[in-house]
Amino acid sequence: MPLAYTLPSNLSPATVANTSSLLRIVALALISGAAIASRLFAVVNFESIIHEFDPWFNYRATRVLAEKGFYAFWNWFDHTAWYPLGRVVGGTIYPGLMATSGVIYNVLHALNLPVDIRNICVLLAPGFSALTAWSTYMFTKEMKDESAGLLAAAFIGIAPGYISRSVAGSYDNEAIAIFLLMFTFYCWIKALKTGSVLFGTLTALFYFYMVAAWGGYAFITNMIPLHALTLILMGRFSSRLYTAYSSWYAIGTLASMQVPFVGFQPVRTSEHMAALGVFGLLQIVAFAELVRAHVSSRHFQSILFGSVIGIGVLGVFAFAGLTYKGWIAPWTGRFYSLWDTGYAKKYIPIIASVSEHQPTAWPSFFMDLQFLIFLFPAGVILCFRELRDEHVFVIIYAVVASYFAGVMVRLMLTLTPVVCVAAAVAFSSLLDTYIDPVEPDVLAPSTQATEAEVPAGDSPANAPSGSATTSKKAKKAAAADASSSGLASGVLAAMSPSGKSAKPRGIFGLDTRIVVIANALGMLLFFVLHCTYVTSSAYSSPSVVLASQNPDGSQHIIDDFREAYYWLRQNTPQDAVVMSWWDYGYQIAGMADRPTLVDNNTWNNTHIATVGKAMSSPEEVAYPILRKHDVDYVLIIFGGLIGYSGDDINKFLWMVRIAQGVWPEEIQEPNYFTAKGEYRVDDQAAPAMKNSLMYKMSYYRFAELYGGNSAVDRVRGQQVPKTGPTLDYLDEAFTSENWIVRIYQVKKEDLLGRDLKTANSFDQGKKRKKSKPLARRKAVV
Amino acid sequence: MLLLPLLALLSLPFCLAASISAEDAHQKLVKLAAANNGLIKLDDSSYNLLTHPKRTWSSSIHFTALDPRRRCAPCKEFDPSFTAVAKSWSQVPASERDTHFFATADFDNAMGTFQKLGMQTAPVLHVHLPAEGSRRPASGRTAPIVYDFSNGFDAGPLAEQLSQYTPVPIPYKAPIDWSKYGTAAGVTLIFLSTVRLFLPILRSRWAWAIGIVLTSLVMTSGFMFVRIRGMPNSGANGQWIAPGYQNQFGQEVQVVSFVYGLLASGFLMLTLVTPYQTNPYRQRLQVYLWSGVIFVMFSVLISLFRVKNRSYPFKLLL
Amino acid sequence: MPRHWRAPFSFLLSVVILPLCTSAANSFENTAIVRTVELGGALVHVTTTYAVKALEDGSSVYTIALAEQEHAHTSWLEAKLKGESERLPLEDFGFHQDSGVFLYTIELPKALNTNQTANLVIETVQTHATYPWPEEAGQKDGQSLKYEAELLVLSPYKTAVQRTKVRSPSPQIHSYTTPEDVEFTTDAVATKSGATITYGPFHDIPPSATSDFADKKQKHITVHYSYDYPVLEVTKLERAAEVSHWGANLNIEDKYWLHNAGPRLKGHFSRLEYQTQNYFGRPAPHTIPALQLHLPAGIHDAYYYDLVGNVSTSHLRTTPSIPKGAAPNQYSVLELRPRYPIVGGWNYSFTLGWDSPLEDYAGYDKATGKYVVSVPIMTVIPGSVVDEAEVKIVLPEGATDIEYFVPYPALDETISTHISYLDTVGRPKITLKYAQLTDKHGGNIYVTYKVPFSAHMKKPVAVTTAFAGIFTLALAWKRVDFRIRRK
Repeated sequence: MPLAYTLPSNLSPATVANTSSLLRIVALALISGAAIASRLFAVVNFESIIHEFDPWFNYRATRVLAEKGFYAFWNWFDHTAWYPLGRVVGGTIYPGLMATSGVIYNVLHALNLPVDIRNICVLLAPGFSALTAWSTYMFTKEMKDESAGLLAAAFIGIAPGYISRSVAGSYDNEAIAIFLLMFTFYCWIKALKTGSVLFGTLTALFYFYMVAAWGGYAFITNMIPLHALTLILMGRFSSRLYTAYSSWYAIGTLASMQVPFVGFQPVRTSEHMAALGVFGLLQIVAFAELVRAHVSSRHFQSILFGSVIGIGVLGVFAFAGLTYKGWIAPWTGRFYSLWDTGYAKKYIPIIASVSEHQPTAWPSFFMDLQFLIFLFPAGVILCFRELRDEHVFVIIYAVVASYFAGVMVRLMLTLTPVVCVAAAVAFSSLLDTYIDPVEPDVLAPSTQATEAEVPAGDSPANAPSGSATTSKKAKKAAAADASSSGLASGVLAAMSPSGKSAKPRGIFGLDTRIVVIANALGMLLFFVLHCTYVTSSAYSSPSVVLASQNPDGSQHIIDDFREAYYWLRQNTPQDAVVMSWWDYGYQIAGMADRPTLVDNNTWNNTHIATVGKAMSSPEEVAYPILRKHDVDYVLIIFGGLIGYSGDDINKFLWMVRIAQGVWPEEIQEPNYFTAKGEYRVDDQAAPAMKNSLMYKMSYYRFAELYGGNSAVDRVRGQQVPKTGPTLDYLDEAFTSENWIVRIYQVKKEDLLGRDLKTANSFDQGKKRKKSKPLARRKAVV
Repeated sequence: MLLLPLLALLSLPFCLAASISAEDAHQKLVKLAAANNGLIKLDDSSYNLLTHPKRTWSSSIHFTALDPRRRCAPCKEFDPSFTAVAKSWSQVPASERDTHFFATADFDNAMGTFQKLGMQTAPVLHVHLPAEGSRRPASGRTAPIVYDFSNGFDAGPLAEQLSQYTPVPIPYKAPIDWSKYGTAAGVTLIFLSTVRLFLPILRSRWAWAIGIVLTSLVMTSGFMFVRIRGMPNSGANGQWIAPGYQNQFGQEVQVVSFVYGLLASGFLMLTLVTPYQTNPYRQRLQVYLWSGVIFVMFSVLISLFRVKNRSYPFKLLL
Repeated sequence: MPRHWRAPFSFLLSVVILPLCTSAANSFENTAIVRTVELGGALVHVTTTYAVKALEDGSSVYTIALAEQEHAHTSWLEAKLKGESERLPLEDFGFHQDSGVFLYTIELPKALNTNQTANLVIETVQTHATYPWPEEAGQKDGQSLKYEAELLVLSPYKTAVQRTKVRSPSPQIHSYTTPEDVEFTTDAVATKSGATITYGPFHDIPPSATSDFADKKQKHITVHYSYDYPVLEVTKLERAAEVSHWGANLNIEDKYWLHNAGPRLKGHFSRLEYQTQNYFGRPAPHTIPALQLHLPAGIHDAYYYDLVGNVSTSHLRTTPSIPKGAAPNQYSVLELRPRYPIVGGWNYSFTLGWDSPLEDYAGYDKATGKYVVSVPIMTVIPGSVVDEAEVKIVLPEGATDIEYFVPYPALDETISTHISYLDTVGRPKITLKYAQLTDKHGGNIYVTYKVPFSAHMKKPVAVTTAFAGIFTLALAWKRVDFRIRRK
């Protein structure tokens, strides 16, 4: 038997097994280390701080949980949010994340490790990414073998697509959700393979955890039924499938209904109906199988078959009827917008306005997955090659997830795991083929059969697991003739599923091996470089703190947000109501600890539209609105001075749009464009734009900063009019160092009952204008 | 001196409108509307009737230029849906119907109005709220509301938007598209009848494999982006790579998915096919060939990516 | 209230002193009293020199008196003989009802015989003695304060001649009262020269520590002067010092609650104004753009954060630690910029901490087998008053027979246990509370304690046992077979 290179032959199987298992453990440990370390860029470059917007709310909620205990958290009514409505927090969130870190917090403190809750929250995501790597390993192990599993773990550990949502400090539901997703799927596969109720129940439990943790649980709720249905259609119904699915569905659904935010949705909404339907179908099919096992007459069987179909059809009609009657809610907007992609922009602009709900262009796919993205189809093909039940799962997952990822950037997150799995399968089978030292004989003699007798495939822990598969192939090969050798026949042989491959298999020579392996390793290395670069440059900045370069190249921190929030916290009354666009609601609540009108959980469109209207209408119209909502301070973000492009003037059109949705005859988007249809802030700006509160607050006294020189807005790249806007109903209260955050105080009504405009002009010693009565009428509006 | 008579002509309707009381105007309008199933064809005078200073009715006026000489494609696109909505409005009981009017002012019939309003573009849709009576808006607004075409020219959203100004929502129902259903039914029938022929294809896993792999290839190379954003297949001046990181043309989908596919098949060849090659030399040839292909295509892909993302520091061959 | 001296049996003594007070007149006589008031922001330093002549032999206990309002402001009081450094023992007799003054007695080092003289120097520091006037100031305006005090120095003895000098930091004195019809003097009551106002001299003042004198003869003076430095007030200061022998490290962490007690900002804060002011180098006197703190030498890993996280705008220039015994003349200078300039009336709170090598602060006494650690009570922010302060000292786990010595007594002292990382039984914690601390109150608390070797070993043992337990569990899990049915 020719070998490309020699292996040490004097190793006992036990040694090999132990060594490999030790190596596996070490490898997993290293992978976890890498996964965690690569997510700490944010902490190293900046500090241990909560990132972005939603995490600030989760952090705040977690603090409540840690300080006041679970029940207080459960019944928490937040008076400071959505002033004056307030918000029932306990019933409107997925508590899984907070509960997790709460448990960790209490455990550590019970062990006399008084870790600050903030650090727990910051480091939760990296910690769970290690677990994700592990669960991916388990999952992939079920698909192929340990070596593929390790590769998959390594991939998901550092793939930017997942890092983007799990860097230290991005304390969001996705942080733990992906681990739960993968582990639930693993349990499902395991349950399906073994048909054990234990694993079915585990699946259900982790499904419950997932439901408690992330709205994306609907993905699982539909993936598993889809898989089951496909298996049935492929005629692969088995008692294992029946056990696994039934135990999962029964327990999982009941458990998921315990989450207040979910409640009765599992039986009332369309997202969950697929699971229910498949559950029913399974019962019918199982019953049919049972009967068929006992009854022999073909005639009866045909009747049975018909009746099964009939019941199925009935079920579908019943579902349709219920939906029509309104017993079952139709698809909610967020889910519906995944199918009808135009839907969101038309009917739920708030969802459409979020940047992470935009469709994905190919560069971001490549950015997030690099060479995995083209290994992924190869992996899918390999799954097709030996089409076991679990491979069907991966295939479905692959096609569904790639569609979703295409529709929404944020769903790249659900695509990443399957890409990693499939790519790992492809990559490891490549390595298997080319690391395996066994060379085939030029002619296929019967010696291969003897070599093939070696039962290498028995212990999966066996060292170079490549030899296992190849020797199997070799066995098949020995069975048949090895006559034709050509590309076409090769393809045929490859395509023929690995049960009946009819040719000897193997690689000749060492150089070929070296070439391929070198190429592969090169790619891996490149991947690592890529991930490091992307993570450090793109995904590791906590948008709360901005970094810029000093002339001498050193890092300069721009900290205006916290400056302004902290000013609010220290120098305004505890109950001062702050109005801002909803993006900043959570941050104000978290850092400034002041009541806000609207925040990032956008449950009340009208309220948001009210803010939008106040921002986009002239002062005297906005003032009554502000007063009615007893707003004390208005906070806006203005990037014009240092060129921070994510500021409110750039978001302004969304405010207008959303306000227009509710007050179409008062606010109209076209009025904010110039006659030529341009969006300008300079002299030619549309009058509606110039009079809008937002514009005035943004550019109030901005031109004066430049003395006589022409003031340039660095974001829009336009010249701001020399004589800036004047404010009659608001006072500038605070402006941060780089003018990014500007806070205005809403004046109280004039003591003499004049409207504030005339009061001001009087104070500035002007003569009473003719416009006075007119102004008064306006103020009454 | 042609100006004078023109002026006279223009001024005529004004005095006319001024003289006429709101009631008479309303009567006239009702007649006009009834005459042309719910849609008033405007000229300058009737426009002034419709926008009577003391009006108790609301109206939506559609300014368009349907005459072929005006070459206004969107006008032609929008006109049918507006007409459809107007038609559906004529179904509501007279009591409500006569409090809101639909009118079309074609440029060639109502030039004066166009000039008066200083209109440059068409189509434009104005909604005039009542200036008197119970339905007078709280803001006392008399200026027309300009309909926002951001939802496209379809009748559905149009009816939805206008219903905010009409006393009762416009009972517009999209006409049932029989042809669509017909074709669908036909296709299903044909399919069912010939299912026996398809069966082997449906049964063969590789048919499915190819289908699914192609789908995921297309999806992962930004097909949905192009479709949702309605990106052109290739940019102006024939450039086929859209500048910018979050942006792409239709052609890129094809190119990128092709590159992906080639790379994937390269890997598959190395993994599945080459090992079956029993002739050492051919096999070696294949191995080198495919490795080369992978390497080259990968570097091509990288260079493509560098075009999109300027700041990307790494590169292979090119 | 001054409380820098023990008053153990003041009750008993006050019984004795009552006659003394009345008959004090015949034991001493003040040949001259000169009071110098150094006006400032939050702190006002007052130095009073008594030229004393004894009227009887062996008179060694001199009594001074503080009027009620004066006493309320005074937070530090020390007495010395002129030209000497060590303080004289001072005793508090509290409020004296029928004369309406607070009395303190000073024990002279040696009793004086008749007509022998001595020069006593009483230094006091007054807090909150000034207030901004006008109470509101715009961003551009300057800052001026008002200081109010009694004209005459009270004393239970006859006084030959007395003067009061009020010195303002800047020559701009807007106004000062010249009290009418003061007896004891013929010529001008008040004379202003430059930045100094001199009241007096006043001659032949009878024993003035009596209520009717205060009512009839005493006069009230007010000085309105402009002050070019921010009036800084630390409303609360919490210092936690943690001693760790494993890390050979003393960690000190201060929590500050700052308040700018200058005139409240009129209208609103305009960043434009502020930036132009800085651009032209004319910052308003009542805004605090930055603070400069003198931290001890040899510190490392200083951190500065507040409720919303790390504050990146600060610079620290450390100096190597000084060998024991050498005079502490070097400091690490911390240039500390708040998130926003603290304008009049604004608050700012932050946390500041650092590590320093333990050997700079601790010593080991072979003889008694005790460690001695010295913990500075506070880091003085120049010219600021600390309204209330709390000093916590956390000793290593298992420290026994703890004793501590304070430079001046605390309002409240407790010893509790504090549980921190990897503790099993917790660490002893000393908590001391103070109020009205001034720049005079810098000083060290000395703590001595024993730490047995076993206590040192507690942590490693605990950790090792924990890990060993985990491993054994894992081992058992691997080995034991939980399946019900054998395969």
